[in-house]
Amino acid sequence: MSGEAMIDQWYPVGLISQLLAKGRQTLLMGETIYVSCNAVGKAIVTTSDGRDLPVTERYGHVWSSLGLPAAPLFDIPEAEQPGRRLVDVGVVRVRCSPLRAVENFLDIAHFPFVHTDILGAEPHTEVENYKVEIREDADEVWATQVKFYQPQAARSASGGITTEYMYRVPAPTCSILYKTCPPRPSEWDVITLFVQPLTEELCDVWPWMALFDDETPMTDLIHFQQMIFLQDRSILENQIPRRLPLDPGMEIPTRADLTSVAYRRWLKRHAFTYGAQLVAQ
Amino acid sequence: MQKDFSAAWTPVALSADLPVAYVIPARIETADVAVWRAEDGTVSAVADRCPHRGMRLSHGFVRGEALSCIYHGWRYGKTGHCLAIPAHPGLRPPEAIRVTVYRVAERDGVIWVSATEEPGEAPAHEGFTGLRSITLSATAETLAGCLNSALRHGTIDWKIDEMKARLLTTPSSEEGILLAHLLIEAGATQSQKRSASIALEALRRAAEAAVKQGEAA
Repeated sequence: MSGEAMIDQWYPVGLISQLLAKGRQTLLMGETIYVSCNAVGKAIVTTSDGRDLPVTERYGHVWSSLGLPAAPLFDIPEAEQPGRRLVDVGVVRVRCSPLRAVENFLDIAHFPFVHTDILGAEPHTEVENYKVEIREDADEVWATQVKFYQPQAARSASGGITTEYMYRVPAPTCSILYKTCPPRPSEWDVITLFVQPLTEELCDVWPWMALFDDETPMTDLIHFQQMIFLQDRSILENQIPRRLPLDPGMEIPTRADLTSVAYRRWLKRHAFTYGAQLVAQ
Repeated sequence: MQKDFSAAWTPVALSADLPVAYVIPARIETADVAVWRAEDGTVSAVADRCPHRGMRLSHGFVRGEALSCIYHGWRYGKTGHCLAIPAHPGLRPPEAIRVTVYRVAERDGVIWVSATEEPGEAPAHEGFTGLRSITLSATAETLAGCLNSALRHGTIDWKIDEMKARLLTTPSSEEGILLAHLLIEAGATQSQKRSASIALEALRRAAEAAVKQGEAA
C-alpha cells in the first residue's frame, strides 16, 4: 500500500449523532472497520479481527486511525466560540481520490462554472492574488486574503457580495475554510471538509459547519451545503487520472492555483501519498 | 492497388446527433476524445482531458468557435490552443498550453475521427443517411452473424423490408459495449424510418441474447 505515512493520521469515520450500539461497517484506507458505541454512548472503532482502534469524538464526528497518531486531532478554536450553530451536513460518497476532494475544496476559480449563480458567476471570474504559506510551526498549509465575488455566498446571504476566505489544511484529508460571515462582519464562518479515505480512489466526504446564523432552518443549511458538494462530485468523478498527480508535468497550475501547489508540495514533503499518483507508478 | 484508409477512421457519431454548440464524448482506438461542433457548424475533436486539472472536456460547453472546460472555463480553439483562462482575464495563455487535436471528417451524415497524421479520405456512404445510433453488449461479429451478412472494417450491409441499410460499428468508451450507427437510404419515407428503427431494436435484442446464450454454453 502506498501512503504509509498517512496511516498514523486521524480520519473521520462517522457522525457522533448517528452512533448505533449495533454498529456500522465502513472502510478506512482499504480496511474494513466497525463503528459502534458502548452502553454509555461512547464511540468504539474496531477492525474485522477485533482490534480496537484509537478513537476521538470531536467536531460532530468520530475520528479513528489504523496506526498510532502521534498527536491529538487538530484544534479548531473558532468552532468552540459560544453562539455558533454546529451543523452535521452528513456524507457524500465520491468516486475519487481523497486528496482530489480536498484540493477541489481549496479551489475558488471553479465557482463561476461549477457553482454557477451561487458561489460565483461570469463575468466575475478573476482570482486576485492571495497569500499562501506552509506554516512551519504548526506544519499546516494556509491561504489568506482570498477574495471572490459571490452572487449568493451562503444560505443567509441575499444578493451578491465580495466574500473573503481563508483556507487551512491541518491534515492530509481535512481542510477548514474561514469565510466572511454575512450577519456578523467581525467573525468568520467555519466550514470544514473532513474526508474519510475508503480507498485510494473512493472517499466519503463529511462536511461540517460552525456558523453564526440563528435564522436559517437547519434543513436549509444542510441542503445548501449538500447541493454544493453534489455539484463538486460531478467534477471529481471525471478527472483523469483519478489519483492526484504529485509530480509536476501532468497538470498545469496558474497563479490562482497557488493553494493547490502548496498543498501538493506539503503532501509530497510528508510522503502523504495515499490517493496520489507519482511519476514512478 | 488503392490504399485502404477506412481502418484509420472511426465513425464516432451521426451528424444529426451533434447539433451546433454541442460537445460529446467518443472513443477512438488510441484515445478518449471530445467531439464538438462550433457555432459556424464545423466539427473538431480533441483529447478528452483538460491539461489544467485533468477534467474531461466532453463535460464542457461550446461558445462561438471555442470549447470550454466545465471546471474552470479554460477555453480551447479549433487548433487546440488555450485561448483564455477566466481566472486571469488579462493573461494571454502561453503557446505551450494546448490539447491534442484529432482529424475530423463529416461525410454522408457521419462524423469520423482519426488519430492518423494522413488518414486519407473518410469512407463514403453515398446515397445513405444516418438514422440513429445505439450501444449494445455484443460484438460486431455477433451482429453480422444475426444478419447473416459479412463484416468488413466494422461495416455490415443489411436489408430492412427491401430498403438498403448499413451498420457502422465501433467500440464505445465503455468496456465491452459496442456502438452501432444505422444508415438507411437517403430517400426513406417516415414509415420506412419507423420500420428501420424497430428492426434495429429487434436486432439489438437478438444480438444480446445470442451473446448471453454463447456465455451460457
